[in-house]
Amino acid sequence: MTLELTYNGETNIPVEIEGINPGTIQSLSNAEIEKLPVFHGKEKCVVGDFFKVSGDAADLHMQLSGTLTGVHWIGTKMEAGQITIEGDCGRHLGSEMRGGSITVNGNAGDWIGAEMKGGLIHVHGDGGHQVGAAYRGSVRGMNRGTIIIDGNAGNEIGLTMRRGLIVIGGNAGDLIGFNMLAGTIMVFGESGIRHGAGMRRGSIIFMGESHPKLLPSFRHAVRYQPEFMQVLLRKITATGFEIAQPILDSNFDLYHGDMIDGGRGEILLRA
Amino acid sequence: MNIGNTEVEDTFAEAFGMKYVRLIVTAADEYWLDAGLRELTGYSSSVIACDAEAGVEQYLSEEETPDGRIGAAVLIFGFSTDGLQKAVPNRVGQCVMTCPSTAVYDGLEDGDKQVALGKQIRFFGDGFQKAKILGDDRHWRIPVMDGEFLVQDVLNVRAGVAGGNVILQGSCKTSALAAARRGAEAVAATRGVIAPFPGGVARSGSKVGSIYKTLPASTSDAYCPTLKGRVESKLHADAVAAYEIVVDGVDEQAVGEAMAAVIQAAAGENIVRIGAGNYGGKLGKFHIQLHEILS
Repeated sequence: MTLELTYNGETNIPVEIEGINPGTIQSLSNAEIEKLPVFHGKEKCVVGDFFKVSGDAADLHMQLSGTLTGVHWIGTKMEAGQITIEGDCGRHLGSEMRGGSITVNGNAGDWIGAEMKGGLIHVHGDGGHQVGAAYRGSVRGMNRGTIIIDGNAGNEIGLTMRRGLIVIGGNAGDLIGFNMLAGTIMVFGESGIRHGAGMRRGSIIFMGESHPKLLPSFRHAVRYQPEFMQVLLRKITATGFEIAQPILDSNFDLYHGDMIDGGRGEILLRA
Repeated sequence: MNIGNTEVEDTFAEAFGMKYVRLIVTAADEYWLDAGLRELTGYSSSVIACDAEAGVEQYLSEEETPDGRIGAAVLIFGFSTDGLQKAVPNRVGQCVMTCPSTAVYDGLEDGDKQVALGKQIRFFGDGFQKAKILGDDRHWRIPVMDGEFLVQDVLNVRAGVAGGNVILQGSCKTSALAAARRGAEAVAATRGVIAPFPGGVARSGSKVGSIYKTLPASTSDAYCPTLKGRVESKLHADAVAAYEIVVDGVDEQAVGEAMAAVIQAAAGENIVRIGAGNYGGKLGKFHIQLHEILS
């Protein structure tokens, strides 16, 4: 049976529920869950102050509902289980998570999957800035796992990411893969400028009809059909993300870069 | 026991525990797929003198492969994981990476141990190789002259069973050869097994040891029709030719089912006896009784 957390808070101050994860509450009663600490701004409160708790946490499935745009750090450091969010939610969704899956049937704020280390986040709406990014001052961002956003996302996607896969179904902002260390970012819509600046390794793949202007420090190699792309696209479609057949059969223009940092990374533009 | 006029001996095949990997090989079309497979599974009839025993387990459609191209599952057996660690990268590096348009993936979801494949072959890329994690598995993209050779980082290794066998005897060589082919085709149609000898059939069955001290195996004189009268023959009085179908498989059940399919397919006109090879039960862990697998 699913544990249901129904948000009933009435505040404009951020509510932070870091640590309320399927694995950490699995063995707790609903009364014990209601007493777990959360933050209301800098004020220490308890879950019961903002959520109605019902159902059962034993099966590692949590469902959150209500107006959650002001509720942040959902699924942070999560290691197992499943979180389903009905509606929109706040920032830092799945930050540093290591396993399990989070599904958002709505939009999510900035820093989705920031510095995540495993698991799957699937946002069926839009995402914010810094998806899978490194926090300011950190040496690396996302380091495994998969983030899929069906809609649009903002700037600095995959900032300094080290491993993992980010898929943006719609449009994206500027500086995709800025300082990227490795990993894969795919964008199916249009995007802004200066992508891959300072990237050392990894792949940024633009799947849309029109492509962004690349930095002059990227050099064209060839138009070809890489075998890994077929494997990758099949893995993505297995998550429920739909990709049309013509896209599956596409060729790609390969660009090496960023040449100012070794040129071991690549940008692929669907031809 | 008889199947029609064919006698099935009350005996057993003595099989051995071995380690195996299962590779998925894909290519642009059937021509290049078969070219790669022939090279990969060549010189691999028996670990008596080869580094591994290998064969195509089954062909795969576009829907069954990781990259949506046609492919095949190949089973490669070795005495140990260390043996496979030497044989498999050598074979894939020399026989599949060299073949136009091919790619190689692990065909096992898990295993007891792993052997490095792309992790070892990647050095051919001379620093230009790229790692790519697809799903949960690391792959290597090695730049080659037609693009990239995509190969999985490691392969899972499992314990299998090798050396299951069926020996058929014919009163007519043509009939015996046709029966052997029917038997080999029965193995090819069975999942989880290979018949590693040429065309799936061995005509030079062997016994352990030799009068020559350096030879670990020598001709199975008891089944050689030309030696009737000189040795204690195991041939039927009317037999003029015998063929052995060796079966390696993912487990004892798979080997037993394949052997039963071989016997059913091979029995027929002019096939006077079907039996199996063993060493008195002293060497192999698995004793596969012919009458049991047919019941």
